[in-house]
Amino acid sequence: MKIGEIFRPYISWANGQGDWPDIVFSTRGRFARNVYGFSFPPRASKEKLKELAETAMNAVKKSRLFIKAHCIHMDELDGIEKAFLVERHHISHNLASQVSGAAVVVSSDETMSIMINEEDHLRIQSISSGLSIKRVYENIETMDSQLGRILPYAYSRQFGFLTACPTNAGTGFRISCLVHLPALARTGQMAKVLENLSTLGITARGIYGEGTYVLGDFYQISNATCLGRSEQEFAENLNRVVNNLIRHEIHARENLIKGGAKAKTEDGIFRSLGILKNARMLSYEEFMQHISLVRMGAAMGLDMAIDISSINQLTILMQPAHLQTLAGRKLDQFERDVERAGYLRKKL
Amino acid sequence: MLCHECREKEATIFLKVAVNNKITEMHLCQDCASKKGMPSGFGQSLPISEMFGNISGFVKEFLPKEKKTLRCWSCGLKYSEFKETGKLGCPDCYKSFEPQMTELLARIHGKAVHTGKKYSPKDFPELAHARKKRLLEDLKKELKEAVEREDFETAAKLRDSIKDLEK
Ligand SMILES: [Zn+2]
Ligand SMILES: [Zn+2]
Repeated sequence: MKIGEIFRPYISWANGQGDWPDIVFSTRGRFARNVYGFSFPPRASKEKLKELAETAMNAVKKSRLFIKAHCIHMDELDGIEKAFLVERHHISHNLASQVSGAAVVVSSDETMSIMINEEDHLRIQSISSGLSIKRVYENIETMDSQLGRILPYAYSRQFGFLTACPTNAGTGFRISCLVHLPALARTGQMAKVLENLSTLGITARGIYGEGTYVLGDFYQISNATCLGRSEQEFAENLNRVVNNLIRHEIHARENLIKGGAKAKTEDGIFRSLGILKNARMLSYEEFMQHISLVRMGAAMGLDMAIDISSINQLTILMQPAHLQTLAGRKLDQFERDVERAGYLRKKL
Repeated sequence: MLCHECREKEATIFLKVAVNNKITEMHLCQDCASKKGMPSGFGQSLPISEMFGNISGFVKEFLPKEKKTLRCWSCGLKYSEFKETGKLGCPDCYKSFEPQMTELLARIHGKAVHTGKKYSPKDFPELAHARKKRLLEDLKKELKEAVEREDFETAAKLRDSIKDLEK
């Protein structure tokens, strides 16, 4: 399979649309569903998993949302192609490591996908740019209702939708926003913010690189539980929390360009732009550190010569598997760092 | 700082997770992070089950104790296996371990009663029929097996289930 020919270098859901795109990178939602009469994937036999994959694919293809969809079986992919799909948020690391019957169906505009035989039989997912909880919820809700009419879901009146891991049982619903919080991080408020969130039934996750900052200052904000409240309540709660974060981040950004802080902030932003424009070698981590500041600069109206949408695209495209797909060949870490810097010099 | 997992290599990934007022911090080297299936890239979420299952031992620490022989009547998963992996075997495990699951779910989610989207295959008659047929076949097969191995307690339960379904 040639994944680079199926998926273009332009990522539709990273186009800077939706509400508050300069702070909310993307919104994602998913339902975990299982089909009655089959064991959960970790315990099912190879034959059963394949039977389920086929049944599920046929059911998905009947939906109008998946016209001209891409059906991809994990056993057709090499390592880079799997990593490519992970980087693009269509599959999880866990799905990438499964073999028998593991597959994904991705809608032609890439805003919807269904993972088959991950930890659960089905993971119905949608992704959209900016803060767009309502749209994402409606997408997966529509698909879920259509599929539920064709496949008998495992459901109990007491526990709701039944999943392999009890942490997903109930609604099977996870809704999350990827938020960019460089100013809160730089004004030292992140620890407090994260701790406050946990009292609201919300989980915040960031992957720290070396040093104190989270990779690119991006945090994944999602509901921590999914049973005992309705899908709408979980969605509204997240919406409230993310709106609050946006307010705090805006306030922190204002403080960064007030008085004496202004020169220091702008200096940092333009230095980062300079590095991205001129470096000859750049690791993904270093790239993220600088693109984060450039992204904030663009949002503040500084002349970055690149808009939020293009910055978003770069954030996806500069990841290792995407870079190798763009280059059309396997690259080791050293070659990737050279390739990345070269690509950025051309783009900026 | 040394990696919390192997205590050999330098930790390069720092993860702070806050769930239900419980904050978990992890310092890992790249190797151990990958071994845990931990994404190191941009915006990749750590599956929450990973966090619970492997990282904090969350599920395990909340699991009610139960005698070793308890197993799922449908897929045969032992309760003790579930305690090891944090993963259930099939939808019927929820019924087989009902009292335990009620307690566990309440501890994880704060509540153990679903109030979200309703679903009933009865709303889709063809589906309900197919499901019932399939279930009956499975149950009869299991009943035969239970009788063969002289597990009369399970056999009695299975007979009840079959009777319920055939009503
Ligand atoms: Zn280690
Ligand atoms: Zn079971």
